[in-house]
Amino acid sequence: MGKSEEIFKKLRQAVISGETEECAKVTQAAIDAGIDPMKVLTEGMSKAMEVVGEKFENKEYFLPEMLLSAEAMYAGLELLLPLLKADETEVKEKIVLGVVEGDIHDIGKNIVKAMLTSAGYEVIDLGVDVPASEFVKKASEEEVGVIAMSTMMTPTLMSIKDVEEQLAKKGLKGKVKTIIGGGTVTEQWRSRIGSDAFGKDATDAVDKVKLLIEEIKTAVKLMEKKRKERTRKK
Amino acid sequence: MNPYERLMTVLSGGKRDVDRLPVWCSTRTVTLDAMKIFGAYWPQAHRDPEKMAKLAAGVYELTGNENVSVPFDMTMEAEALGAPCEYFEGKIKWISVKQFIATDIYEMQIPEAPSEFVERGRIPVSIKAIKQLKKKYGGRVPVVGIVNCPFTSVGSYVISPVEFHKYMIKEPERIHRIYKTLNPHYAAVANAFKEAGADVIVFTEEGASLNNISPRHFGEFVKPHLTQLIGMTEPPRVLHICGSLISKSLEIITSMIDCGAEAITIDERTSMSEARKITDEHRPDYVIGGNLDPYNGIHGSSPDVIRDRVKRVIEQGTDMVCPGCDYWLETPTEHIRAFVDAAVKYGQTAKEKNEDKSIT
Repeated sequence: MGKSEEIFKKLRQAVISGETEECAKVTQAAIDAGIDPMKVLTEGMSKAMEVVGEKFENKEYFLPEMLLSAEAMYAGLELLLPLLKADETEVKEKIVLGVVEGDIHDIGKNIVKAMLTSAGYEVIDLGVDVPASEFVKKASEEEVGVIAMSTMMTPTLMSIKDVEEQLAKKGLKGKVKTIIGGGTVTEQWRSRIGSDAFGKDATDAVDKVKLLIEEIKTAVKLMEKKRKERTRKK
Repeated sequence: MNPYERLMTVLSGGKRDVDRLPVWCSTRTVTLDAMKIFGAYWPQAHRDPEKMAKLAAGVYELTGNENVSVPFDMTMEAEALGAPCEYFEGKIKWISVKQFIATDIYEMQIPEAPSEFVERGRIPVSIKAIKQLKKKYGGRVPVVGIVNCPFTSVGSYVISPVEFHKYMIKEPERIHRIYKTLNPHYAAVANAFKEAGADVIVFTEEGASLNNISPRHFGEFVKPHLTQLIGMTEPPRVLHICGSLISKSLEIITSMIDCGAEAITIDERTSMSEARKITDEHRPDYVIGGNLDPYNGIHGSSPDVIRDRVKRVIEQGTDMVCPGCDYWLETPTEHIRAFVDAAVKYGQTAKEKNEDKSIT
């Protein structure tokens, strides 16, 4: 086993068992050893969070265990992020994320944020109790492809609908894709209010975001192709 | 039998002695229709005992749903601990907590005497409303007082749930301290409700399902303290937990039963037939209620589909026909009527089936 692989394994272990200090220590060791920070993220954090997601699905892990893993991951990520930004060549996909208006429960949102970040996305976190207009404004300002919204409460399901309505009004529906999730959100609710995807848990949310971004890319390619064809015809 | 006699009989060990299954809502029983027809709107009905009593009885008056209940939301206890609440003046929205104010029990405003706690915030409004409800409905319709227990009211509305959940592993003592300190105060609320005339106390601990915590943590943190809290109050009591209570090979139904309430109510994320099976093996004849999905199953379904669902849940072995959680505010009155009528119609067959069982 190579030295890097040994460090990655230690790092994964620290994230999976939710050891914050250990995770920071191992990440620093990886940086000091000159390992590519992007590899530390993909081989260490991402893989570990995938395992955590699986454990949650299999009912080995519950919220407390998952939150500690997320906390540990962030401790390492904080050290990595400045280095990642420096040698970034490819533009990362941006996602706007927040808990909808009227709800301050950010437990699910934080877990999804951890998973998305570890999967390599740039997450713009709007926090909790976010008005519909704020989601829409941020999404157009930052030119993001995906808005991710969550709520834990039943009454605030209506606030997700408000965001969909505002997107429609601004003619952004379809251009900006939406994914929703949280304690009370269901696939039925998604289809009723016309969101683009429903993440049943954090792992599922990451998979669905990947799909949404692929859809956007395909749509953009198609549009470009059509434009080229048109110019050729001229 | 009237609705009061029916529910009280079921909750005092007589589930085979009723003419049919009770049909009621063990959580928040409020609709927009009731607000409009009885002129008792949120947020005023949260603060004015007379309006609260009117609204509490609204769904019963309109549909025959067999209970009148207060309070109307889950933040009453958290507000009494100092959590600032947003009432959304001029709108009809569920009260929400504006921010989390504490990280530990020491940072909450807790009076030493539990009797002082019941004078806090909206608790006296509920007490006064119960007195009025008892006067008007006593002996006819069960008057229900709901207490949202410490794990949920503190862990969802006073302390940030992100931090609260981490304490279970990092600093378990904090959770124990919260429950130990607050149990006498929360029991005082239940007892004040009872003294004011509540026939049944429902304890909700909605944050403690398998969607959030493991059966091991339920056993470590929730079960011992809930048992103590319930033990400090008088029967009949009902314990309600939303969310999944059975998942893969795990379950917390038996632990819930052991907490000592006379019945439990469950939501649609737990299968009634599986819950029935586990219950019958653990404590034969124990009372379970549930579990129609209040949103898709009642609000969003046609009366015919609602009737079918009620029939099915009775076949699956429920002892009390209930929605899994609060009625959705926008639920059309005729949908709750269909829900109640179906329980009246099919609930009797279940009783006959029970008689067959007891003969054989």
